[in-house]
Amino acid sequence: MKSLFKRNILKYGLTLGSAALLLSACGGEESASESGAATEGEDGRTTLEFWSFWGSGSRRDAIEDIISDYNESQEEVTVEYVYQPWGDIWTKSLAAIAGGNAPDVIVQDINSVKQRAEANQATNIQEYLDEDDISENFYPQLWDTVLYEDEAYALPFNTDTQVLFYNKTAFEEAGLDPEDPPSTWAELEEAARALDQGSGDNWEQIGFYPRWNLGADIWALNADNGVSWFNEEGDIRINTPEKVEALEWMLEWQDYYGRDTINQYEAEFGSGVSDPFISGLVAMRGQNINYYTNLLENAPDDFEYGVAPLPEKEEGSGHWSWGGGFVLEIPGNTEHPEESYDFMKYLSSTEVQEQFGMNSFDIMANTEANENLQSHPELDEMGHRIYELADANLDVTTITPVPLNAPDFSSLVNAEIDAAFLGEKSAEEALNDAQEAVENLAE
Amino acid sequence: MIESSKTKYVQESDSSSSTSKTKYFKSKKKQDRNGKILVYIVLILVSVLLLSPLVWMVSTSLKPMQEIVRFPPTFIPETIVWQNYVDTVQSFPFFKYMGNTLIITIFVVLGNVLSNSFIAYGFAKIEFPGKKVLFALVLATMMVPGFVTMIPQYILFTRINWVGTYLPLIVPSFFGSAFNIFLLRQFYLSINNELIEAAKIDGANHLYIWSHLMIPLTKPALITVGIMSFNGAWNDFLGPLLYITDESMYTLQIGLQSFSNQSTTQWNYLMAGATLVLIPSILLFFFAQKYFIEGMDLTGGTKG
Repeated sequence: MKSLFKRNILKYGLTLGSAALLLSACGGEESASESGAATEGEDGRTTLEFWSFWGSGSRRDAIEDIISDYNESQEEVTVEYVYQPWGDIWTKSLAAIAGGNAPDVIVQDINSVKQRAEANQATNIQEYLDEDDISENFYPQLWDTVLYEDEAYALPFNTDTQVLFYNKTAFEEAGLDPEDPPSTWAELEEAARALDQGSGDNWEQIGFYPRWNLGADIWALNADNGVSWFNEEGDIRINTPEKVEALEWMLEWQDYYGRDTINQYEAEFGSGVSDPFISGLVAMRGQNINYYTNLLENAPDDFEYGVAPLPEKEEGSGHWSWGGGFVLEIPGNTEHPEESYDFMKYLSSTEVQEQFGMNSFDIMANTEANENLQSHPELDEMGHRIYELADANLDVTTITPVPLNAPDFSSLVNAEIDAAFLGEKSAEEALNDAQEAVENLAE
Repeated sequence: MIESSKTKYVQESDSSSSTSKTKYFKSKKKQDRNGKILVYIVLILVSVLLLSPLVWMVSTSLKPMQEIVRFPPTFIPETIVWQNYVDTVQSFPFFKYMGNTLIITIFVVLGNVLSNSFIAYGFAKIEFPGKKVLFALVLATMMVPGFVTMIPQYILFTRINWVGTYLPLIVPSFFGSAFNIFLLRQFYLSINNELIEAAKIDGANHLYIWSHLMIPLTKPALITVGIMSFNGAWNDFLGPLLYITDESMYTLQIGLQSFSNQSTTQWNYLMAGATLVLIPSILLFFFAQKYFIEGMDLTGGTKG
């Protein structure tokens, strides 16, 4: 028994010991390539770590080419690209910044730059801009998002805007001119009625439903001269007469098709896997312009579609749209802000922006890059059309940075809007209540 | 009245005759069979319900994107694209990430099974002052949500330079987890103290009793803990996301995320990858199921 015991002790001891050894081996190996802030490489070059969420496909290839060009173009810095999962990259960066372990440059959300600037999670880059002001290179509303107390904390990288996609074949079948998409809400309604096939809860084709792929907030700002829930001065503008009208208009669409029909379709393709536009069930849909890449990849070759600006409420009210995007940012307290800024400046230069846009069909933050892409020899006619439309649309595209005094306001507004769609409140009541709730929050 | 009750009596005595006795048994058999059929129908329905997402995943993994986006969706792929699997494995270092995930998982399972059973043995079978308070303290850690400790834990691991290694993912599993300790302690409590007393008289110490009596006797519970830690580590996303900084050290769950982008999701590759990632879990289930039954037998034979 004793010998058996001894042998087993030995066995367990060995197992645990080897485990410990292996673990420490893992640890040792990795501490050499220590993560986080930049390090001096053996060749005297500074290594910068760059995080983004472009993990596969054309975006990843494009950014890797761009980075290797940069590394070859100079002798001071080597940029190392690290992919982080889409969406979760910001959870990770939050922890990394808090732990003092952040990378040198991160692609961040455009709408929350001010919040990170206020919390010292982003580095002030104003001194570099004072030397060489490149703010003119970007669309003005994108530049506004990177300013906190009039100083810059990031450089805009790319953006997007919402437009109307329509099925040209369906237009022809319904006797509509496929080259003349609706440009006002009234025309939109007229076209939708011509495109509708079916009734009650049995539809073969639905002309248009405003809340599919666009939020109620976008139609509200479309109606209200491009003013979102907060205006540029930071005043709360939720229950304006225009926005009430917009909500009433959306409720009419729901009544027309029936709430049950809408709910049923939302349940069927709400996961975003099946595509009702490509399948021909929906003939027109408002959506982010980057939906074009989905159409390129997933639509059958004979699928004929067009793009147009979002219809305006009435003639002259403006084809207002909404956009988002991403910025390049240096996290707080990193070691090489100067080198990092130089790399960011390179990424936002016209040629690089052009190269990235050409491969990804992202709308770039650099105005000149978008203009060049409208006639770029390597893009086809539809590609030119997309950049032409995007460039024009950005004149009427509002970006809505999260207000510092009420970062969580949108859940309050959405709850009220849902109440209106559930028939619990009228449009006016819902928006009045939302206005009051957000005012209380912002106090 | 009387007459009718009489006839009833007669009828009843009739029914207790030998012929009707066999009838009674027959109907019981029939009843059993009907019951069984009903049970099987319910079981089949429930398993179809539980399996359908799995079937859907495999079906999506074999479709081309053009078919995936079609509405109404097709259940059985019209064109089967095995190439999806090839593309998935090639689009990121799949087998490298699988190896990485396996290393983490093996150590986590080992750590969880050894440490938790050791700690649980102490709480179940050794008397020492402050035991109850200490045990309550261990259980109290279950009440603290993971997100609350996320940032402090991250800062701690940064300070000791463990971020960027597998250590933050592996080492904590060697220090016990409240739920597993509780589970195993309950199991150990059900084992007779006499058995331990007898071993002690024979000169065994606690380490020997734990390794030679407790571990073999509680195989089913240990395998349960093992399976749970396997699944936890194999499917963990947040841990590797936070602590791994080098792309060559990523795990499968992070690699899979590369198929969902800001505007497009490559469902065909995502589902093919998910199917491949699921295979080890399914294999483990069949493999461990056998041991689970064996373990149950051992519990029956405590006398040996």
